[in-house]
Amino acid sequence: MSPMHYVYLAVILFSIGAATVLVRRNAIIVFMGVELMLNATNLALVTFSRMHGALDGQVMALFVMVVAAAEVVVGLAIIMAIFRARRSASVDDANLLKL
Amino acid sequence: MHTGMGSLAHTVGTYAAGLAAHEGEAHAATGFTAYAWLLVALPLAGATMLLLGGRRTDKFGPVVATALSWAAFVVGAIIFVEMLGRGADSRAQNVTLYEWVTAGTFKLSAGMLVDQLSMVFVLLVTFVGSLIHVYSLGYMEHDPDKRRFFAYLNLFVGAMLLLVLANSYLLLYVGWEGVGLASYLLIGFWNWNPAYATAANKAFVVNRVGDFGLTVALMLMFFHFGAVDFQTVLGKSAALTGANQGFMTAMGLMLLLGACGKSAQFPLQSWLGDAMAGPTPVSALIHAATMVTAGVYLIVRSAPIFEAAPTAQLVVVIVGAITLLFGAIVGCAKDDIKKALAASTMSQIGYMMLAAGLGPVGYAFAIFHLLTHGFFKAGMFLGAGSVMHGMNDKVDMRRFGGLSGAMKITWATFGLGWLAILGVPPFSGYWSKDKIIEAAFIGEGWRPWVFGGAALIGAGITAFYMSRLFFMTFHGKKRWDADDHPHESPRIMTVPMIVLAVGSAFLGLILSWNDMFVSWLEPVTGAEPEGAHPVVPVPLLLTLTLLLVAGGVFLAWMRYWRDDVPVTAPAGSLVTQAARKDLYQDQVNEALLMRPGIHLTRSLVFADSKGVDGAVGGLAALVGGTSSRLRKLQNGFARSYALTMLAGVVAILGALWVIS
Amino acid sequence: MTAVAPAAFQQSNVDYVAILPMLIVASAALVGVLVEAFAPRRRRHVIQVSLAVVGLLAAFAAVVWVAVDPNKVGHKGLTMGFTDGTTNHSVFALAIDGPALFMQGSIVLMGVLGILTMAERFGGVGPDAFTPSGASTPGSASESAAARAGALTSEVFPLTMFAIFGMMIFPTTNDLIGMFVALEVLSLPLYILSGLARRRRLLSQEASLKYFLLGAFSSAFFLFGTALLYGYAGSVYFGDLSKAVATGPLAMNGLLLPGAFLVFVGLLFKVGAVPFHAWTPDVYQGAPTPVTGFMAACTKAAAFGAILRLAYVGLDTARWEWTNAVVIVAILTMVVGSVLSVTQTDMKRLLAYSSIAHAGFILVGVLAFDRKGVGAVLFYLVAYGFSTIAAFGIVSLVRQNGGEATHLSQWAGLGKRYPLTAGAFAFLMLAFAGIPLTSGFVSKFGVFSAAIGTGGATGTTLAVIGVVCSAITVFVYARVIVLMFFSDAPDDAVEVVTPSMATTFSIAIGTLITLALGVLPSSLLDLADRASQFVR
Repeated sequence: MSPMHYVYLAVILFSIGAATVLVRRNAIIVFMGVELMLNATNLALVTFSRMHGALDGQVMALFVMVVAAAEVVVGLAIIMAIFRARRSASVDDANLLKL
Repeated sequence: MHTGMGSLAHTVGTYAAGLAAHEGEAHAATGFTAYAWLLVALPLAGATMLLLGGRRTDKFGPVVATALSWAAFVVGAIIFVEMLGRGADSRAQNVTLYEWVTAGTFKLSAGMLVDQLSMVFVLLVTFVGSLIHVYSLGYMEHDPDKRRFFAYLNLFVGAMLLLVLANSYLLLYVGWEGVGLASYLLIGFWNWNPAYATAANKAFVVNRVGDFGLTVALMLMFFHFGAVDFQTVLGKSAALTGANQGFMTAMGLMLLLGACGKSAQFPLQSWLGDAMAGPTPVSALIHAATMVTAGVYLIVRSAPIFEAAPTAQLVVVIVGAITLLFGAIVGCAKDDIKKALAASTMSQIGYMMLAAGLGPVGYAFAIFHLLTHGFFKAGMFLGAGSVMHGMNDKVDMRRFGGLSGAMKITWATFGLGWLAILGVPPFSGYWSKDKIIEAAFIGEGWRPWVFGGAALIGAGITAFYMSRLFFMTFHGKKRWDADDHPHESPRIMTVPMIVLAVGSAFLGLILSWNDMFVSWLEPVTGAEPEGAHPVVPVPLLLTLTLLLVAGGVFLAWMRYWRDDVPVTAPAGSLVTQAARKDLYQDQVNEALLMRPGIHLTRSLVFADSKGVDGAVGGLAALVGGTSSRLRKLQNGFARSYALTMLAGVVAILGALWVIS
Repeated sequence: MTAVAPAAFQQSNVDYVAILPMLIVASAALVGVLVEAFAPRRRRHVIQVSLAVVGLLAAFAAVVWVAVDPNKVGHKGLTMGFTDGTTNHSVFALAIDGPALFMQGSIVLMGVLGILTMAERFGGVGPDAFTPSGASTPGSASESAAARAGALTSEVFPLTMFAIFGMMIFPTTNDLIGMFVALEVLSLPLYILSGLARRRRLLSQEASLKYFLLGAFSSAFFLFGTALLYGYAGSVYFGDLSKAVATGPLAMNGLLLPGAFLVFVGLLFKVGAVPFHAWTPDVYQGAPTPVTGFMAACTKAAAFGAILRLAYVGLDTARWEWTNAVVIVAILTMVVGSVLSVTQTDMKRLLAYSSIAHAGFILVGVLAFDRKGVGAVLFYLVAYGFSTIAAFGIVSLVRQNGGEATHLSQWAGLGKRYPLTAGAFAFLMLAFAGIPLTSGFVSKFGVFSAAIGTGGATGTTLAVIGVVCSAITVFVYARVIVLMFFSDAPDDAVEVVTPSMATTFSIAIGTLITLALGVLPSSLLDLADRASQFVR
């Protein structure tokens, strides 16, 4: 099977992730969409690494995982704070700042 | 920049060889000329002191401001005397103040060019400016805010001197913005009146259109010549031969746009009438004698650019011709004494523009007329202020009449100004305006007939509306209200009027002696070409002009002195109605620019209800309307922001794919 | 592309002196965390502030030391990596060169001013702008208990230091993955800082959430672009990228354009370029004002440093692919930023849109593709940064009933009652408008003239649009000035609170630099010009 298929899969996953961010209201799910986008990228990185016959793509994927983990920590903290203040995790409810 | 001025102005004497003959060679400043920075620093120091000093300076502030203005005049006079002592070729001097921007190959030093042309302006601005300071001491005596008024006046004088003394377009631009600011502040000085605040805003918006032109011209210069100082830009323009015509034309037209905005020339003239909302001394100084003539200065200073761009030069003449007729026609129908004078200012600056567009035959006369006009128009405005002073601040001429008996000095000084603007020999206007008419008749083909004809007809109409103004105000039957007790103004106001009237009477004659003024300016403006003769013989032209003038005066005498003037304006013919409405200038503006955005303007949310933001004019409304529409996109939903981002990515990538 | 992995283990080659400034800031941040854990509460504020300021000043000294290089050892160049002996192929993660050092130096100095404004206490125990207890629910019992107990949020200082650390790496890094890490290192602390405002906490938390979600979204784009470029070139090092494009079409040519643009999207998001700007006004308004000022100045500088390096070193050879995209973005940014600023009614949002418009003007300088353009952009960033910190500093002082009064109507008549403060603010407005004798004029002149000089027809078009947009913004700023000086104050007039020496210092310095760079810009212009050469 051509490794390009994995790249296509990565693109599809990335698009699903982006769509999740756009259509879901729950901040946690929106955030999961972002994570899906990051992981789609990881898949692409690893695939390209395989195609180029080099290791750096895989190392980069590790970097991305660490950064994503840090992002999760910060993200969940912010979402928790919002949830406790508003009793709602809907991103559409956070709508005071506009115009 | 005055922090940097403390260090003594040092001189730099290295200039590119091969300067244009036009510009003459500017020598590094020697002698007292090196202190030319004082001219700008003194009034600005006054403005700073009065603005920062607060109420403490209420008592002595106005007097100090007046004294500083006179001090600037004295400095100017000393430099002038020094300049007279030098040969004609070494009169232009360059005062380098400090290196402002030096980045890589781009160097820009802030400096002053003290030459024959800028000296004319220095003397005009400081002398007339100081006289008007004195007059204002009387006129504004009871205004609670007169400290602020004098601060702005000083600010104006400083900025105007910076404008005319700058040795680069960039520094000129600084002064240009400075006078614009002072004008804006002074038009809206009585900003408790919403109409006045609106007038200030209108002037602001229209001037921004002009300033945009000047900015673009600056950038074109930088692009084309890699510099913005007069020396390089004008030198290189003069050296150009035929090539880059399109570029020079664009540059010329942009400069003209700037000039039109500042000098209230067609099609940017609409603000000047409204600018009369400012106190009358301001109208005299800024909106008649000095600031509005800055556009003429810009054109004459940029002569080499226009020489290299005949199309732009032709447009200058056309703009001048249109404005001089436009202003004259509007002037015939105005009943507000200040607005009639404003229309006349517009028309007279049209004459100067026309002359400035004619090339070397006209430059000197454009400046000459500017100088004489500065005297007689300022004098008449002060006269109008004196009338208003005596008539409870009324401006409707239909309510005046027969004031010559009550206000003898005002009548006499105004009369001299009237004779001068009519061009009756031997008064000032004759020596400058008639020369412009003569110059307009020089040339080949259709041009002399059209432009000369316009100038000639303009002279006739001028005679009519100025006589109308003079007769309606000072002669005929008394049409005063019961509570009007006209009286002569105090001496502090009449003395400046007398001085200006003397200038209106004799300045032209004196300076024309032996072609004194023209030959003084010759190193800057270039020699008048030999053998250029009007297509109509000069004596015939002279007779024609005087006949037209006499006809205009006679017509005005019949209608406004001999016959009774109705207190309420009659409906009048279509032309009169159109002229009363400034030939529908505002309506055209509104239809083209304002209406599309006007209902959106109303939705502009802004706290200041006093008209800071009310009717700010067409372009602003357009921007405001777009703005409030676009604003709805910022709806507060994080997901829609994300959609904006994604849509942006997809749209731009898609567009690129389609392109490639 | 063949394998780039070395045959045997090779130790990477690190010039520790060259990276000393970043090490200092990172260690100061780490020590700050320890201080938070061990220092007694009442002394924590003082310790944290002095630690941060001393750390930043030391880092600045180190930057100067590296830049002037007293012993001529040569600390400038690529570092943190190795050269493959056989193929002579080098992979270095950091580039210590003129633009990097210039950006680091200015970020550190602007960071000092930012820290000083954040440290304002107004006599309280902790920084006044920040809630005593970020974890507690707004208005809850635990919040008031924390306030009674004298809790303070001195962790904002280490957080800021971490952000500054990330900002210093951002323009320095020489590969895309390093750039991604730097992006996250600088962003994560900012997400938290945005949510810690003492007053209007719901707004602040909302700003934090929006900033976080959209920021994560945009960094996903950045990362995906990185992956595509990696697929295209087989490496993420800028030198390799540039070479790969130059050597000609490869099998995966189609990845270049989307990859390059997506990477730019991540960076353009950080500077607030349209259409990736939507977060800017909301976050600027909701975040604590000193944080907004810090963000506006330093994040913008760091992100533009990264954009410059990417545009001039990494993707320079692929310019024809992505220039059009960035030109479109630049035009949109200038137009939308200036037009939208016209109808703003909140001072912080107005400044946010002004910052968007400025991002557009700076992009015009980037698109000059010339050393002159680089120098102009560097100058612009410094000039704008100092002005904006001072401006937000002043915004944080104008108050009503203890809270900040940011609605424009509340500023009416301020000039009559507080001439000095209003005068300084008016001056900064003039600088934003680009009036001569302020730094704003010189910066705008620099970028526009660079664009006209070397940007060709596109550059000229951009510059003309830029001038038109500047004219629109002049109107906005003029209106603020008119409002402050020529309108009457409302009955419930606001007051300007008297700040501590630290805040006064940072506002004064910001304003003075704005003036100094307008009157005597030559020395900084020279410095920026000399610093405008990238290493490869």
